Amino acid sequence: MTVTDVPMAPQSPAARRGGRGFAPVLPALALVVLVFVIPVLALLLRSVLEPAPGLQNYATFFGSTTYLKVLGNTFLVAFTVTVVTVLLGFPVAWFLAIAPSFWSRLLFAIVILSMWTNLLARTYAWMVLLQRTGVINRTLMNLGLISEPLPLINNLVGVTIGMTYIMLPFMILPLHATIRSIDPAIFQAASLCGASRFQAFTRVMLPLTASGIAAGALMVFVMSLGYFITPALLGGTANMMLAELIAQLVQSLLDWGLAGAAALVLLVITLAIYMVQLRFFGFGQARG
Amino acid sequence: MLLDFARLGPWRVALSLIALLVGAYLLLPILLIVALSFGSSQWLQFPPPGWTLRWYEDLFDDPEWIASFLTSFKIAAVVTVLSVGIGLMASFGLTRGTFRGRQALRALFLTPMILPVVVLAVALYAFFLRLHLNGTFLGFVLAHLVIALPFSIIAISNALERFDRDIETAAIVCGASPLEAKIRVTLPGIRLGLISAAIFSFLASWDEVVIAIFMASPDLQTLPVRIYGTLRQDLSPVIAAVSTLLIALTAALMAAAALLRKDDRS
Repeated sequence: MTVTDVPMAPQSPAARRGGRGFAPVLPALALVVLVFVIPVLALLLRSVLEPAPGLQNYATFFGSTTYLKVLGNTFLVAFTVTVVTVLLGFPVAWFLAIAPSFWSRLLFAIVILSMWTNLLARTYAWMVLLQRTGVINRTLMNLGLISEPLPLINNLVGVTIGMTYIMLPFMILPLHATIRSIDPAIFQAASLCGASRFQAFTRVMLPLTASGIAAGALMVFVMSLGYFITPALLGGTANMMLAELIAQLVQSLLDWGLAGAAALVLLVITLAIYMVQLRFFGFGQARG
Repeated sequence: MLLDFARLGPWRVALSLIALLVGAYLLLPILLIVALSFGSSQWLQFPPPGWTLRWYEDLFDDPEWIASFLTSFKIAAVVTVLSVGIGLMASFGLTRGTFRGRQALRALFLTPMILPVVVLAVALYAFFLRLHLNGTFLGFVLAHLVIALPFSIIAISNALERFDRDIETAAIVCGASPLEAKIRVTLPGIRLGLISAAIFSFLASWDEVVIAIFMASPDLQTLPVRIYGTLRQDLSPVIAAVSTLLIALTAALMAAAALLRKDDRS
């Protein structure tokens, strides 16, 4: 008799129906329903109920050039940040996977430190660096490269630089895992078959890492879409992103209906992208 | 060839150069803050004209900074305990239960982690307005608990799935009650999962700022809310001092995590 054959505690009626072990989940379920599901659904409902039942909030949102421009800004920044993090993150992940252990460990520690450092501390660093009299402008002027300080903050340039900084680790870590899982023998085979380094890169390495790149890119893109703090501090009032718009509609304009509509737009885009991710890459890989 | 650093040829130079630049991009802003927090220039001149501890003195002399620090710590501590407790129970249910819909339930529990936090912030603000929970300790704990719980559930479920259940069964065969076996055999077996659940839950609450901005009242502000509020006005070097302390905390937690991992391997 093996240990698993030992008769356990008598089974409850629920167990016989195949529904055992639900009770311990209840506290978590209660919390998530009360403090997450109900409030979010209530907010979304307000978009079709306030100020009067109907779809006028969505008509306002999609009919206004101001709000469409916010949507455009959001996609533009998220797209740029995604492209730059792929271009920078791929070589770094590659380096981490194969460099001598001292250097890869050092760089790995820097990536983790940067990722774990308080978000506000990192954003503060970029506010200091990018301001008119900041280190970057001063250095460029001292070098004689520019005569006037560049406008690097309170616009989308600042937001993009700061967000790229924050998103890079989320691209590097999953890509690193993908590259490490490749069998080096594949490249010996490619080499034996006469492939040059460039051919081995485009015909072997890129196809083998494509799913990792896509998973990392989708995650960075979707996180960037809903980001609030960094755009609020590094961006300007003239070029808002969607998360800031939602906050402003609630805090300054008290327009809950329109805020609910904007929130639904953000949620639908976010969930749609996650669905693509789940469908093609699975949940675990996406989190790296 | 491409996965052998020594045989990369000219590509090695390019790869090392990019790695160096990105490493600098990731590290220098953090070092800059640490340097500025000891610099004497109020205007954050770099390199600093002189060195001082003035910003740290300003920080520790200000009862409001101390109060927000304590508020954050208390909220994060309560959230950590509840998150690990509720997360542990939920993980047992999700990994060992046989009821239907476990996958869907797990997905629901993890959703707060992937949705844009600003949506949850606005939704909770509206909801808590009706319940008069904005600006209260309970409100902060509930809101941060929803954010922290997914981290607990992931860490503890993973540990439970790796844990060999036959060991627990063996304890029961040897005369332990099922509960006793769980407490004395299973919990020590998944301790690393519990510790990382605690660390991530603490950080999730400690660093949370978006929900806190909406919920905070003048009387009850967490540390991130106070930093955010100050940053909207000016780039005071006191923020550099606070940030440096936060960076030190991060580095300490990283070192602890690294030691844990080493401990686990030996």
